[in-house]
Amino acid sequence: MIASAQQNPLTRLGSATMDKLLSGRGVWPAVPALIALTVVAVIPFGILLSLGFTDILVNRGAISWNGFTLDFLTNALTDTLYWTTFRRSMTLALTTTALCFLFGYPVAYLFLVGGAWTRRLILILTIAPLLTSGIVRTYAWLVILGGRGVVNGTLMQLGVIDQPLRIVNTHWAVLIGMAQIHLPVMILPLIAVLARQDRSIEEASANLGASRLGTLRHVILPMSAPGIGTGTALVFTLSYTTFVVPQLLGGGNYLNAATMIYEQVVFSLEWSKGAVSSLILMLTCLVVLAAIAMVTNHLTRWTRAHDA
Amino acid sequence: MDASLAELSWDEMAGVAQAAPASATSVLQVRDLEKRFGGTVVLSDCTIDVAEGEIVTLLGPSGCGKTTLLRCIAGFWEPDGGAISIDGRNALPIPVNRRPVGVVFQSYALFPHMTVAQNVGYGLRMRGVPKRQIAEAVARILDTVALGAFADRWPAQLSGGQQQRVAVARVLVLEPRVLLLDEPFSALDAKLRGAMQMDLRQLIKRLGITAIFVTHDQEEALIMSDRIAVMRQGRIEQIAAPEEVFDHPATAYVADFVGASNFWAASAENGKVVLSDGSTVATKLTGPVRAMSRPHNIRLEAGHGGPWTGTITLHRPVGPLVDYVVRTMDGIDIKVSALRQEQARILADGAEVTLSLRDPSLCAIYPAD
Repeated sequence: MIASAQQNPLTRLGSATMDKLLSGRGVWPAVPALIALTVVAVIPFGILLSLGFTDILVNRGAISWNGFTLDFLTNALTDTLYWTTFRRSMTLALTTTALCFLFGYPVAYLFLVGGAWTRRLILILTIAPLLTSGIVRTYAWLVILGGRGVVNGTLMQLGVIDQPLRIVNTHWAVLIGMAQIHLPVMILPLIAVLARQDRSIEEASANLGASRLGTLRHVILPMSAPGIGTGTALVFTLSYTTFVVPQLLGGGNYLNAATMIYEQVVFSLEWSKGAVSSLILMLTCLVVLAAIAMVTNHLTRWTRAHDA
Repeated sequence: MDASLAELSWDEMAGVAQAAPASATSVLQVRDLEKRFGGTVVLSDCTIDVAEGEIVTLLGPSGCGKTTLLRCIAGFWEPDGGAISIDGRNALPIPVNRRPVGVVFQSYALFPHMTVAQNVGYGLRMRGVPKRQIAEAVARILDTVALGAFADRWPAQLSGGQQQRVAVARVLVLEPRVLLLDEPFSALDAKLRGAMQMDLRQLIKRLGITAIFVTHDQEEALIMSDRIAVMRQGRIEQIAAPEEVFDHPATAYVADFVGASNFWAASAENGKVVLSDGSTVATKLTGPVRAMSRPHNIRLEAGHGGPWTGTITLHRPVGPLVDYVVRTMDGIDIKVSALRQEQARILADGAEVTLSLRDPSLCAIYPAD
């Protein structure tokens, strides 16, 4: 086998490359992923972006290119519809992230203080929803929140209300659905960080005079900062760019950034507008992510202490 | 008595303390403490008095209940019976975060997200002490443990020994009545351990702190303690000064656990036991017994010159000592430690030897199994 490799220089070059890909240092092991990413993401996105900055004229079937233009971008930035839509997306994403943290942290804390069975149960209940697709879970919310759904049915049975509450097709339905669907993505990183903690640290805090609340505030919460950072970044990105939940639970009238891009590209066939909207969506998302990363970095500088 | 004592009030406890003069000066009193987990009894009849400024070690193998006892004193676990009092005051109703007890954990349990100074100041901060006073107290205690230059470091930037000193400073700054140390040296490498043991003992003694110290390492216990409580299966087998535990172990278990030991069968008559080499030792037992001697209490002489003879089956020079194993005529292996300077030459394997006891009164006599 070695002999044949020596005979054929091409084979030798191939196996040398293979070695580097499998066990090389630096960027080498990531090369296959980078190639795939370039083909399926970077190039298509580049093409899409180029549409947003090129003047295309379609005249009786003839397409003519009129060069570079910033018109689409300036139009978008001066259009109040864009501002309200992106503001709505941003508010929705930030509220969802906050809700996921408020509901998710107690679950993760329960995981920390719970016994083996509690932990198993929490893991199963957290992961189980991920086994079904987001669309299925969104439809489940339609059933629960609908006019004849579980919530309205129960409230009317109990005589709390006479008429079914209008929940579906409102902002509230979107918010409820988003918070539930993205909750596991917040809980899992929190659990990963909290489960690693040395339990005697909490006992040390109590021994030094802290109440349970004091221990939570001064010890457990700051120590879970890495998990909070990861969870927050994930939930924010997913909810800021989400399409399915607003589309289904918002009833088609609910416009957030993703549904707006969908309409621009699929219904009104304004690819240039869609391209510019996508760019704004991506850049604003990156700004918030950078802010989250900066805050998290500051709060978790102790985790890199051994480097100093 | 066990049940009634647990229900006594603060004042009644004080009365009890006066009735028992020996306990009048003790800082910590543990009475008939009992702890069960499910059906398993992990602590029973544990009674210890610790005097002001005394260091008492709980010594025993893992699972003997020493850590359970420590955790009950700290308030992490509630005992199922018995009483714990600190300065004559019933400690059991005092919640864990108000007990005047400081714990140094096996893992040190430093807060990784706080600097050394923040770690040490944490307890004072929880007590609402003003910032300036905290800073002063922290600086003072860090100087005491020679960590003044490390105040702004993260715990992860410290060595194991430095982390231990932070853990100690963190509780000492609160001036606890009792300091509890749970195997504080187990995370350190052997070389560092010896120096740290002496340093910690000197620090505790200098500050006059009352301390309880848990370990499974008998050597550590002998170095660190004023008194050692040897524990077995949730009970205290013997509580005495290190020399006493070593020279006069109360039970065969203690003799076996603390230091090296030799056991052989003998019989007691008329209040004494005639040992293998012909010497006698007094005892209250009669009938078949077990005699115990430490290896260094046995003398070896070449050749057959007495009633107790055997053959050397193993010899190991260990620094200033030579450790021998001698197979005696009745087929028992006896360990002997001899000072090298006492012997003209090291006896080789297979050599015929005569054994005799240096001081028969240091032989302990226990009931036969």
